[in-house]
Amino acid sequence: MATIVIMPRQGNTVESCIIGKWHKKKGDLIQVGNILFTYETDKAAFDEEATVSGTLLEIFFQEGDDVPVLAPVCIIGNPEEDVTGLFPGKVSQKEKAAALPKEAKPDLPLSEKTDSGETRISPRARALAGKKGLDIFFAVPSGPEGRIVERDIVALEQTHPGATPAARESMKPGTDQIGTGIGGRITVADLARDRTAADAEPEYRDEPLTQIRKIIGSTMHRSLSEMAQLTMNRTFDATGLLKFRQEVKARGTAWGIPNITINDVIIYVVSRMLSRHGDLNAHFLGDYVRKFRNVHMGIAVDTERGLMVPTLRFCNQMSLRQISDSVRNLAGQCKEGNVNPDLLRGSTFTITTLGVMGVESFTPVINPPQTAILGVCCVMTRWREDGGKPISYPSMNLSLTIDHRVVDGAPAARFLQDLCDGLESFQVMLI
Amino acid sequence: MHDLLVIGGGPAGYLAAERAGQSGLKTVLFEKNALGGVCLNEGCIPSKTLLHSAKIFDYSKTGKKYGVTFEGARLDQEAVMKRKTKVVRILVAGVKAALNKHGVDLVEGEAHILPRSGEGFSVECNGTTYAGKRILIATGSVPILPPIEGLHKGLETGFVLTNREILNLQQVPGQLVVVGGGVVGLEMASYYNSAGSHVHVVEMLNRIAYPTDRDMADLLRKEYEKKGVVFHLESRLTAVTEKSVIFEQQGNIQEIHADKVLVSIGRKPFTQGLGLENLGVEINRRGAIPTDDRGRTNIADVYAAGDVNGVSMLAHTAYREAEVCIHTMLGHKDTMRYHAVPSVIYTNPEVASVGETEETAREKGMDFECTTLSMRYSGRYVAENEDGTGICKVLVDKRRRNVIGVSMIGNYASELIYGASLMIETEMTVEDLRELVFPHPTVCEIIREALFVL
Repeated sequence: MATIVIMPRQGNTVESCIIGKWHKKKGDLIQVGNILFTYETDKAAFDEEATVSGTLLEIFFQEGDDVPVLAPVCIIGNPEEDVTGLFPGKVSQKEKAAALPKEAKPDLPLSEKTDSGETRISPRARALAGKKGLDIFFAVPSGPEGRIVERDIVALEQTHPGATPAARESMKPGTDQIGTGIGGRITVADLARDRTAADAEPEYRDEPLTQIRKIIGSTMHRSLSEMAQLTMNRTFDATGLLKFRQEVKARGTAWGIPNITINDVIIYVVSRMLSRHGDLNAHFLGDYVRKFRNVHMGIAVDTERGLMVPTLRFCNQMSLRQISDSVRNLAGQCKEGNVNPDLLRGSTFTITTLGVMGVESFTPVINPPQTAILGVCCVMTRWREDGGKPISYPSMNLSLTIDHRVVDGAPAARFLQDLCDGLESFQVMLI
Repeated sequence: MHDLLVIGGGPAGYLAAERAGQSGLKTVLFEKNALGGVCLNEGCIPSKTLLHSAKIFDYSKTGKKYGVTFEGARLDQEAVMKRKTKVVRILVAGVKAALNKHGVDLVEGEAHILPRSGEGFSVECNGTTYAGKRILIATGSVPILPPIEGLHKGLETGFVLTNREILNLQQVPGQLVVVGGGVVGLEMASYYNSAGSHVHVVEMLNRIAYPTDRDMADLLRKEYEKKGVVFHLESRLTAVTEKSVIFEQQGNIQEIHADKVLVSIGRKPFTQGLGLENLGVEINRRGAIPTDDRGRTNIADVYAAGDVNGVSMLAHTAYREAEVCIHTMLGHKDTMRYHAVPSVIYTNPEVASVGETEETAREKGMDFECTTLSMRYSGRYVAENEDGTGICKVLVDKRRRNVIGVSMIGNYASELIYGASLMIETEMTVEDLRELVFPHPTVCEIIREALFVL
């Protein structure tokens, strides 16, 4: 029985998704677990996996189409089934067929090969091709499972002049070639020309922007063009923090303690300090500033699809252990592309970490309408004088960007000072 | 307004006009001299009528070998010329009728392209201005006449001839000096040698019939040396006196007596005084109008075909270029290809070739195989050619096994070479071609023989 695949609902706030890429095409065999298509919300991209096996019988939306959630996207079923009744627009098979010949461009060799390398072709089609002396190599299959059927051979006779025998010798199936030989046939010279063109590495490659990229781009640009951003840097002595981290690493497994990272501790301390600096845990909304009672921490996560910022809701009420578990879960979901889009919004402050990549200092860009963002940099050795002697210690730099429209320099510096104090003696805060 | 203004009524121009008219384009054709161009009036066709007369006369001289003796055989130059004029008249009338049939307006006069004003193009001829959406330049070529001492004076007095004058000679000269051993020079040397002249050929290269395959060229030279033609290779013309030709051969100055001198050292595209500068049409250093492989010049809707593009300078190339131009105008995709354009020298024996020669294939670094067979593998050739020395050379791409070049010397070569063109164009493999049935006995079977050697 045919199964309609619908556009999943990703969270309660998403009304439609854009199809980013089709991984299967009409007529393809589908196994459970195959990725059918990729779709994107304004914040994230997801893969839709097949939950049934069969043949992809029909596709209703193309790449780039904005599809309402729960709308039918494609149909998987048995090739013999008449699924026209399931079509959203109720286009009958006959009308479809009538529209076909005009659309069927001679898109050049597309015939599917079986695993043994043979072309899928019906016996009638093969017989007709043989009779007419046509080369099935160039037939555009329109039968089920990429099979060449009789009508494809009829179409081939009218559309494709083929290649010369010498050119055929060195052609690969699937090469889209323009023939300049007699009657438009593909010649050896055409292949040579194509090879010369292919040999020369193109200077550049144009990649269309994904939906996520577009959103990041416009958000970042709006952020920098509308706000009065100011970044300040301050370092703190990370001796205690690093020691704690080492102990967690050394004994964590034995004591059943999760792998708490430096970042987890920073998130913990920031969430506590923000309660005392309400200007930085706020949204600037034009005529007023909305100051939040709780801290909903945005954590910047680098994924293959681009930057994603999941939210740790009520972060200020979470224990260090809860923070560590939640961050690990959320980051994993983002990287796998199955995070609930509802968790990609609603943060009141953001932390972004580039320190693991050795960045010493940077100017983080505020995620509007927030009023501040904290950048975490790498550990560096610094020196301080102690009793006339230089003593080295590990230090970490924090880069805080504030929206100067809302927050002045001095209060921001005070926040940073509190934060550094807190991080230097964070164990006290755990009590 | 016309759809197409064609300037020049030679093979490119008249065929283009015919095809355009046939396709419903409102077309006007301008010809300043004689419809049919050099090919029909002073080239291909008249030379072939002369050479056929020569061939018949040759038979009378060699008939004995075949058991036929002629007595009192004589070549009547005036009658030969008269017949030539008749043949040309018939064919020109044929072209005129075809143009008429397809509704082409023929304007006899010198056309001049005017500067653009608004839509389309304007061409002035005989005081009338013709407007058109497109222009096809098919003005052909003229003989190259180098600035050599005495040459231009000789042209004025009628001592020095070009292809035009030599096809109108009413008397066979006693001693003819041909400067330039290319196709035109060799065909005229062939005719006048048969007609009784003592012929000298002065050639700058170390071979005749360039760029024909060297083996064919050397064989042809030997055949003509047997017939009494004297070849001066690596010789550069330095002066023409009132009764002789002076040339330098490897540092030595030589002078040979001449009753007539034919200058046939090549042709150059004719682009002067057409008003091309009014449109900004590009003309390259060799005076040719460059086109793309669809016949388009650098100016939109201005096309060029035939000798004027300086590429191949053969009538049959011009035909095809003209068709490509018209197809492009009509929006049909078509591409001009030159790799299978045959060329023929209508000497006795004939030389015909198409595609690569051994030399060009080697220069291009192609991986090829080559076989040369004596024409005596053909039964008909043996039956008809006592002491025939003809050969046929076939070149095959080593990897793909398709024919890439054929050259041959021997009569009927002109008529059978198109088969080789077809093999090259269609890129069929030797194995495919072996399945082809050739008529027996024919000279063309030599290609089949070659295919089974390769």
